[in-house]
Amino acid sequence: MLKHPMLKYLKESGPHGTRLPLIMCPGCGVGQVLNYTLHAVDSIIKEGGANKEDFVFISGVGCSSRLTSHYLNFDSGWTIHGRALAIATGVLLANPDLNIVVFTGDGDAAAIGGNHFIHAFRRNINVTVICMNNGLYGMTGGQVAPTTLSQAVTSTTPYGNIEDAFDLCRLAQSSGASYVARWTTAHPHKTIKAIKKAICKKGAAFIEILSQCPVHKKQTPVDMIRALKAMTVPIKNAEGSSKIPVGEFCDTPRPEWTQKYEAIIEKCAGRKS
Amino acid sequence: MRKIFISTDYCKGCLICVESCPKKVLKISSSISAKGYTLPQVSDTEKCNGCGICEIVCPDFAIAVEKEDKAV
Amino acid sequence: MSGAPLEKKQDGTGPAALISSGRHYLEGSEACVEGALIAGLKVYGGYPITPASEIMEHAARRLPMVGGRFIQMEDEISAACTLVGASWAGGKAMTATSGPGFSLMQETISFSIMTETPLVIVDVQRPGPGQGYITTSQEDVMQARWGHHGEGPIIALAPSSVQDMFDFTIEAFNLSETWRTPVLIMAEETVAHMREGLFVPDLDQIKVVLRKKPQDLGIAPQDYQPYGHDLVPPLADFGDGYNINHVSLAHHPDGNVANYNLDMHRKNIDRLHDKIEGNADVIARTESRFLEDCEHLLICYGTVARTGLEAIMEARETHGIKIGFLRLVTLWPFPQSLLRKRIKKVGTIFVPEMNLGMMMHPITEALRDRCDQVVSIPSIGALHSPEALLEKIREVVKC
Repeated sequence: MLKHPMLKYLKESGPHGTRLPLIMCPGCGVGQVLNYTLHAVDSIIKEGGANKEDFVFISGVGCSSRLTSHYLNFDSGWTIHGRALAIATGVLLANPDLNIVVFTGDGDAAAIGGNHFIHAFRRNINVTVICMNNGLYGMTGGQVAPTTLSQAVTSTTPYGNIEDAFDLCRLAQSSGASYVARWTTAHPHKTIKAIKKAICKKGAAFIEILSQCPVHKKQTPVDMIRALKAMTVPIKNAEGSSKIPVGEFCDTPRPEWTQKYEAIIEKCAGRKS
Repeated sequence: MRKIFISTDYCKGCLICVESCPKKVLKISSSISAKGYTLPQVSDTEKCNGCGICEIVCPDFAIAVEKEDKAV
Repeated sequence: MSGAPLEKKQDGTGPAALISSGRHYLEGSEACVEGALIAGLKVYGGYPITPASEIMEHAARRLPMVGGRFIQMEDEISAACTLVGASWAGGKAMTATSGPGFSLMQETISFSIMTETPLVIVDVQRPGPGQGYITTSQEDVMQARWGHHGEGPIIALAPSSVQDMFDFTIEAFNLSETWRTPVLIMAEETVAHMREGLFVPDLDQIKVVLRKKPQDLGIAPQDYQPYGHDLVPPLADFGDGYNINHVSLAHHPDGNVANYNLDMHRKNIDRLHDKIEGNADVIARTESRFLEDCEHLLICYGTVARTGLEAIMEARETHGIKIGFLRLVTLWPFPQSLLRKRIKKVGTIFVPEMNLGMMMHPITEALRDRCDQVVSIPSIGALHSPEALLEKIREVVKC
């Protein structure tokens, strides 16, 4: 019987009932991002770049973060709103050999998680952050987020948003991330390639994926996918364009946190005081 | 002719696969599933070249395409 | 990378870097860290706050010597979160804070209770509310039990000496691994900053507990239920190949959060409660003296036990007052049935605390029918002197 090739990485059911389909709304971009991520991970495992049991998925709270709730046939943790990167830091310090992927959303990462966001990238901890940016708080009913565009009407900006949006890629890059890229759910192959590259690199990687929320935007998934394609432009053509640039913003390897700490351990090991 | 399987358990009728298929193999069906979704259906399997884009873009892992020489 | 049993190593790591057995003269903060290292501490995530910073600084110096990793995080919330991740990856983890930081950590503590994550948090108490002051207090003892949102019990110990800071830290780690729960050490500025003698036994005399894992019980990965199998479920580490999903939404024993129903939710909460509160008699400890012939009783905890015992001895020896002494080693789970077993009938129960009266409430609830009255002796910002305690005892007992 034909089965989707990535279902081998998901828990479809268990002793206490079925787990799929994903809880996401029809056409939500979050499921697509999971699909792209699993394709990237599958490719790495098949090429011998990592073992399946070395992968750990950590998420915060929100629609994007539901991916780890009980679906993954991997080690995972569905954690606290905004704190996925702090928890991921702990995972890394206990076992630097694990491949840590953080699933987060724009609110989770840049509002409540903002402090941990900038410090994780400043420290350049070995983690791949996949941020599904739909420009609002989906799970709780479509409230404004730090990534909501100016003048947008949301459930908490009923008169139009008077604030401007973060550029998350610039924030990650200026904080010190060693690999930063932005794609959208309408760019499946580019996204898979970027995720694969990020996981295989040492250091803190940030991948922003503009993602559709059809329910709160009140548009069909297909219309939103078409819009994501239309509103973006490759970085090399972005000069003078009002469209959102997509592509790789930086790829600047620098020493990773646990690698630097290793030198301290080597110097100190065995001392009593 | 390639087999294409669409799961009525997992598909939520978002129709992104219909939009994404470069060969226009899929179309919107005229019937509604037991869960109330308008599912996609295969309109012309002859045109399918097994590229697998529908599998990649599906948010619910609800479609599978037979691919020659590719292990699932 | 979980704390391995203490084995003799030649390469300089492991026991070679641990504090040697014998007598030492240390600050409470240092004793706490040395105990943690013996217990197998591998990750410390910290944030500075008076009067707890010395614990963090000592950990920063000592952890790399045993091959562990220290990090100063950007706030107390992330410091506590680091412990969760480390524990999930098999690394025993600890942090230390004081009141304001303890408040920030409550969400993480709640999360750790629900996910049943072993970790140790030291609260070096200072007065509050707000910035309060930087001297000593016991004002967070109720927050230890009730500060985290939602249901879910906690284990909390109250050290009284530098020796306790060492011993109780090891005990805290062992309790957290045995019961798969966060454990709090409710220290005070007094005990963290005091310097006195510490006796470290031979390493092979010290029991170190490791979490029960599914592989130890012959459970295969495909059969593993992260919240099932036993009252205290076995815990797989990240990297063990068990595909563990940690969740804090109300869950089925297999970690599924779909198919929610009230029965599943109630079972989830009841098991967490029974795991700790149902085992209070095994988990909770008290220490007592002179209970056999006492007509009155002093119940205390933390460093108040030091001056309290001094006052008791003076009351007995100089003034002939038959007063007994009991200190709560474990604040939570509250040892209610232990107390009721030990105390049958007394006159006045004195409860001196460095707050306006907090533990006096569960003490009263436990023993009101076994005494004439419970008298709270509050102190804010400072430890009661033995003289002050004796004076109060004599005033009430009229002697």
